[in-house]
Amino acid sequence: MLPGDCSRRLVAELQGALDACAERQLQLEQSLRVCRRLLQAWEPTETRASEPPPGPETNEEDPSPACAPSPQDLKELEFLTQALEKAVRVRRGITMAGETDKAPSLKSRSTVAPPGAIAIAPPQTPGRAGGHASDTRPTKGSCQTTVPPKGHSERQLLSLGDKTRVRTGARAPRPGPGLRDQQMTPSAAPKAPKAFTLKEKGHLLRLPAAFRKVASQNASLWAQLSSMQTSDSTDATAAKTQFLQNMQTASGGPQPRLSAQEVEAETGRLWKACTLLRLRMREELSAAPMDWMQEYRCLLMLEGLQAMVGQCLHRLQELRAAVAEQPPRPCPMGRPPRASPSCEGGADPAWSPQLLVYSSTQELQTLAALRLRVAMLDQQIHLEKATPGHPSLQEPLTHWKPSSHCNCTLHGFPQQGGLYPALFHWLTWFIPHVYWICAPGGQGRCPPPPWPGPDDPPIPGPTQGTVASWSREVAGIALWEP
Amino acid sequence: MLVRRSRAAAAGDPKEAGAGSMGRRRRPVDPAAGARAGALPEAIAALSQSLPSGPSPEIFRRAKFDRPEATPALWQLLFRVLAPLPLDNRLVSLAREVQARLVKSALRSQGYPRLALAQLPEDGSQGSRELLLALSWLLARGPVLEQMLAQTRVPLGDEMTVCQCEALASPGPPAPQVRAEDPVDVRHVQWLMGKLRFRWRQLVSSQQEQCTLLSKIHLYTSGCHGDHSLGHLSVAEAEMLRDPEGGQQLLRTLECENRRLEAVLAWRRTELVFWRWMDTVLDTCVLGVPAAASQGTFLPQIPECRGGVLELVAWELRALQEELQEAAEHRRAAWEAKAGGCGRGPEWSAVWRASREAVEKELGALRRCWEQDRDPAQPHGPHRLVRREDGAAGDRDLRAAEVIRTLRSQEACLEAVLHQLQGQCRQELARLAGALPGLIWIPPPGR
Repeated sequence: MLPGDCSRRLVAELQGALDACAERQLQLEQSLRVCRRLLQAWEPTETRASEPPPGPETNEEDPSPACAPSPQDLKELEFLTQALEKAVRVRRGITMAGETDKAPSLKSRSTVAPPGAIAIAPPQTPGRAGGHASDTRPTKGSCQTTVPPKGHSERQLLSLGDKTRVRTGARAPRPGPGLRDQQMTPSAAPKAPKAFTLKEKGHLLRLPAAFRKVASQNASLWAQLSSMQTSDSTDATAAKTQFLQNMQTASGGPQPRLSAQEVEAETGRLWKACTLLRLRMREELSAAPMDWMQEYRCLLMLEGLQAMVGQCLHRLQELRAAVAEQPPRPCPMGRPPRASPSCEGGADPAWSPQLLVYSSTQELQTLAALRLRVAMLDQQIHLEKATPGHPSLQEPLTHWKPSSHCNCTLHGFPQQGGLYPALFHWLTWFIPHVYWICAPGGQGRCPPPPWPGPDDPPIPGPTQGTVASWSREVAGIALWEP
Repeated sequence: MLVRRSRAAAAGDPKEAGAGSMGRRRRPVDPAAGARAGALPEAIAALSQSLPSGPSPEIFRRAKFDRPEATPALWQLLFRVLAPLPLDNRLVSLAREVQARLVKSALRSQGYPRLALAQLPEDGSQGSRELLLALSWLLARGPVLEQMLAQTRVPLGDEMTVCQCEALASPGPPAPQVRAEDPVDVRHVQWLMGKLRFRWRQLVSSQQEQCTLLSKIHLYTSGCHGDHSLGHLSVAEAEMLRDPEGGQQLLRTLECENRRLEAVLAWRRTELVFWRWMDTVLDTCVLGVPAAASQGTFLPQIPECRGGVLELVAWELRALQEELQEAAEHRRAAWEAKAGGCGRGPEWSAVWRASREAVEKELGALRRCWEQDRDPAQPHGPHRLVRREDGAAGDRDLRAAEVIRTLRSQEACLEAVLHQLQGQCRQELARLAGALPGLIWIPPPGR
């Protein structure tokens, strides 16, 4: 229905935009999951313990195992549990001994261990990260990441269990039937430690020393790298330049022409130049000069900008000539890989990130929203320019041939050869708040009529009437705002 | 074994052993090179450690003598260096021949001068010396190692990128098209546009939520961080505390990165000797250079509308030029009318000259903005978010309030551009509607 490569290009651009959006959304959602998990009650663990298995409800959610663990696994589990019991006993002392004595008996009753398992009431912590909870509600997310309820859990628990033995020995994997009994014991325990939440006890956290050391090493190495970059030794630079020159002369090829990448980089620069110049022009035109000095300056600036645009155009001509010489270069990797990403380079490449300081949630939200808005506007402008019919594409509409197979009817309009109604629909999407005319008989607001297919009979209406009679209809017709 | 010997030799007695072992294999270049020869194994070792999955130093030595066994590793290395990130499974699992072809085309698009590379067989049976030269060419042209490290950097903080560099610098069309035969239905396009709008709305709301959560986390953990300039934990750090398993993983990755950083620093210190050595490698190659062959005859020609981008930019520039011309002429005429009589005296000429100079300076700064590939006034790259109640920031840090201001002005400008474009569309539509009798178009009400 719509002619030309440009419309296909527009579809491709739209697809690209949709994909980019989807990717961003995915990343955001991942990050959101992590953040939400952090803000909920943390698992009952010391700062160094491994993550706990899922709690009561999650166990109920997956009642039967996807695959029964092998007897081998069960035996190992039993050994492990016993070893952990011992460790727990040592840690918890006599007051909790009653509980742990119950544990082996519970264990012996189990027949089939479901994939999930729970934690017993953990021992008192040295108070590093606050209290624990024995029946905390681990989030679904963590359940999925730590103990996938599909069958690998046993092995994973075993490996986790090994680590816990080494570190704290604070928990034992439990079979399901023991679960409900277990639920009672924590409430029976005199002091049920509170769940650790970031809100209450976040300020007590401390990063482990090993990490601190490595992180500070990392930061200083990056700083060294940046400083080395700026004060690059001249010997090395000279040697490199020499080598490159030798390569050029030794290759025996023709004189260096502009490579495809350079053309692209140059085009990008000119594009950027255009945007910056336009921005500046707008600033100058919108500024109201106070006195003659300012007015003169404004005038000089505009003329200067004009001269610069002329130079850019000249450069563009040169690029065009260079491109025309070379045959089109294939680049199967999608985009030609850039030797220097556009953000780096320049006088002072800081390879590790700088700080962006904000002072309130509101500020951060505004910042993020504006960033997205600018990106969205950018994209919209880009798409706008890619629409068929946009003057920039140099395809005047009069050159288009109306396609004969488009029969869709615009209500109220005489049926035309396909192009113009289609175009009308087309173009109005890019202009907000265009009013549509409903079929006669519509009261108040009505939604747009369904698109008639190519074989549908034309919708009855004033399709045959003259303009005059039709306009009478118009007067009584409700308007719909998209 | 050669590696061990030369390394041991280097550890023991750099000058003699190094000169001895290297001197046998190199042409005598200059006596001073012997003194530095011991540093060459170090340099090569540093290089191979700083490259991702870098080949052993032995490969480099073998490549100098064009030994075939060094070829596959070098093809792979070149692929890793040239492939666009992120390096997903799709790219990594490509066949060796395909990877080789991609490497060739990427080098060509960057303007690699040597023709011999293009003629190498892609099965990895020969040509290691050429590949070594290609690798060195890439290393000499730009800070490849640092860039690769920066791209795979472990983000310890919560980062946000403020600039729109990527978007700004590439107006070009996206990756290759879909089937070229099907006619495009306008309804399909409308549906896609609606979908896009919906996705943006979703994105905005998710982003807002994330900001809230981030801010909370920062607030709750304030005072925790050892580094007082940061003050609070980031999500990655808090996650590490919550999940020590993952934290161990993070630690290991960080240590790995540290090792690579150290290797890059060592490389920077010792690279001079490597370049001298590469000159000798080039010398050994010089004799075997083939006659200049025609390029591009054996690579598949995938048509690409590269010219389209240039046309777009050209159109933009021309439109801008017209606008500027009109505005400038108008202002000039107004100015001449006003100041025609006065302002000619000698005391005025100094004033006018000062104005001219000031304007020229500003224009120069503007030009530098796009020529340097970087706007010094505007911040680049990702920034680590830090919450401070007072909002105090150091010299090199950004303040959110300033960034917001910048973004708002950008937004205003872009909105103006968009309205202008839509206005043009509207005009075109009106023209069309006028051309067709019987078509009544109700324009949108003035807003």
